Amino acid sequence: MAILSLAFKSLLNRKLTFFITLFSIAISVTLLLGVQTLKTETNSSFMKSISGTDLIIGSRGASSQLLLSSVFHIGNTPNTIKYSTYKKISQSPAVEWAVPISMGDSHKGYTVMATDLTFYDYFSFANKQHLSVERGAIDDDMFAVVIGSEVAEKLNYKIGDQVIVTHGGGEIEGHHHDNIPFYISAILAPSFTAIDQTLIISLEAMEAMHTDNHGHFGALPGEQILPSDNHQDHDAHQHHDEIAHEEHADHDAHQHHDEVDHEKHADHDAHQHHDEVAHEEHAEHSHQDTQDQRIARLLKIKPEKINAIFIGLTSPQAILGMQSYVNNYQAEPLSAIIPAVALQELWQFFSLAEVALNIVTAFVVLVGLLGMLSIILMSLNERRREMAILRSVGARPSHIFGLIIGEAGFVCFAGILLGVALLYLLLFTLQAPLASYYGFYLEINMLTSNDLFILAIIQLSALIIAFIPGWLIYKYSLSDGMSIKF
Amino acid sequence: MININNLRFAWQKEPIISIDALSIEQGQHLFIEGPSGSGKSTLLNLLGGVITPQSGDVEILGQSLNQMSSSQKDSFRANHIGFIFQQFNLIPYLSVLENITLPCTFSPDRKQKALSHSGSLQKEAIRLLSALGINDTKLIQRSVNELSVGQQQRVAAARAMLGSPDIIIADEPTSALDNDHRQAFIKILFEECEKENITLIFVSHDATLKHHFSHHMNLQELNQVSNKEAL
Ligand SMILES: Nc1ncnc2c1ncn2[C@@H]1O[C@H](COP(=O)(O)OP(=O)(O)OP(=O)(O)O)[C@@H](O)[C@H]1O
Ligand SMILES: [Mg+2]
Repeated sequence: MAILSLAFKSLLNRKLTFFITLFSIAISVTLLLGVQTLKTETNSSFMKSISGTDLIIGSRGASSQLLLSSVFHIGNTPNTIKYSTYKKISQSPAVEWAVPISMGDSHKGYTVMATDLTFYDYFSFANKQHLSVERGAIDDDMFAVVIGSEVAEKLNYKIGDQVIVTHGGGEIEGHHHDNIPFYISAILAPSFTAIDQTLIISLEAMEAMHTDNHGHFGALPGEQILPSDNHQDHDAHQHHDEIAHEEHADHDAHQHHDEVDHEKHADHDAHQHHDEVAHEEHAEHSHQDTQDQRIARLLKIKPEKINAIFIGLTSPQAILGMQSYVNNYQAEPLSAIIPAVALQELWQFFSLAEVALNIVTAFVVLVGLLGMLSIILMSLNERRREMAILRSVGARPSHIFGLIIGEAGFVCFAGILLGVALLYLLLFTLQAPLASYYGFYLEINMLTSNDLFILAIIQLSALIIAFIPGWLIYKYSLSDGMSIKF
Repeated sequence: MININNLRFAWQKEPIISIDALSIEQGQHLFIEGPSGSGKSTLLNLLGGVITPQSGDVEILGQSLNQMSSSQKDSFRANHIGFIFQQFNLIPYLSVLENITLPCTFSPDRKQKALSHSGSLQKEAIRLLSALGINDTKLIQRSVNELSVGQQQRVAAARAMLGSPDIIIADEPTSALDNDHRQAFIKILFEECEKENITLIFVSHDATLKHHFSHHMNLQELNQVSNKEAL
């Protein structure tokens, strides 16, 4: 113990070199732990993208492609799943819930995803957390759109704002479905998943936009174009002329003609329903429906095809059976992936980068320790006198050895503590900017046992490295004896 | 109390010390002289058990150093011997008090003795310093670098005397002092050694100090290595 306090005082006597060594070790420790934290955090935020969903079904193809498109909204899979297939699968006894997903449109670069209201009930992420609404309310109106937190923030949208959806993923090219404007009914709380960058609409609205190759619904026979339509300060305006109306004279809608005629009264019901919803913007908007929207409301067509189905099963034991049932589905080529497994597989792609990062940080730590070694070695010569004095008052060579080891151990330990402190300082300062600018939620945790293991290894290597100067000074103290040579 | 028998020591096969017999009595004040390089410091290292002779034996207080393990020798040294060197006796990063009490960290015996004298190590250090002519009690908390060379020598002497070791070995302790301080230093050292019945072994080139001592020894005459070389 006495020797450790001597080592400590000796160190303080050489403050400058002490602090330089301390900081070089601290910074290398911060870097190492920072990389570890970033690695686990990216991994966990990646893994948290979806949870509670047992299977994702898509058209037959690469599982990573299906995962990327359905969960991360990156890339596209063809929307080839028949809606009837969805119906059939959702009725399987093992299936507890099934949510249809359809994609392909965008709004100012953000993905537009069509689904139905069950999505909010069943989709979960992280630890089976459900999406929560920050402002507004989720609305079953056909032209209500629910937007992710980042969409709202970046585009500065409020509840009630109008949104025009573009066909295709691009921000510029593509057809604007401006005959069917949406209004924002709810803004979701940040989930730090792809949903934050997504607009969610109803399947019927998606279908309404896409019916007849992006044509527009014509006016129903006998219906007048309301003056309000023409007065709308809206891009859609130009599409609402008679030519469009005539072009679409033999529109699919005519097949439903009779039904529609009968449903003219139903129109009122629909409106009554909307009025009931205690939502003022909503009510306001329903009065501003465009011609196409009014027709679409009447038709309420479910889409024929969708991109993916999220499925929850009654029991986890059913997963594999259901997966092979889907993969061998006769009516059309389908494939089912288990999200947790597919995420893990996708993550493997990053493992090479992970290894490279590990190697680099290991070298950074090594450099920090070598710096410490060279500083201790440089101090040895000037300390031979100190050692001779200690020998004369009864210190053993092992004490002298311990002095050096203790010194290295102390510097390294202090460096580790400082490094950990720096790490948390860094994490706390970066947490907010990372979340707001990159949508990356950095969870600040205690050091993991793996981190502690790494720190123990660093501490141990410092002690082992100090054997070199320790052994040298031991030899000096034996050969110098108590003779003070300078 | 110190007996040397057929002591032979060589640094890297070059013989330095070859003494057939030498005995030093308890309480004796021995003055050792000899030219530079004659092996005085080497002899003191042998007496302190820091280096081990190739043959022969040193017996101190009835105990043979040859029979001790190296760690026993280290604690024997801590318990029984106080050292004073020519210069740079003190550890620069420790305070005056910490330097003086340093032997107590390695020798519980000396700590006990020091405590029995004054009740606390600090009081004992102050007592020894004032006996050596340093009366400024604030000085003990200061860094040793702030002391004059003469003060440093006296601090080193206080350290050697703390806890009443049986032997004080001084290796040219006065060469950094001017004549007045040197005489005063010797006087105080003698008084303390007499009071505690400490055996003093004093190495110096300075012949003017010789007359203070009851016993004298010229290492060059005694040491057969240097005799042979002379022949
Ligand atoms: N650590 C050592 N390694 C090798 N040789 C040494 C060592 N220490 C001393 N010597 C040699 O031993 C001889 C005696 O040295 P020592 O220091 O004992 O002389 P000294 O009588 O104390 O001289 P001085 O009066 O100058 O202090 C010298 O020739 C020296 O070169
Ligand atoms: Mg000498």
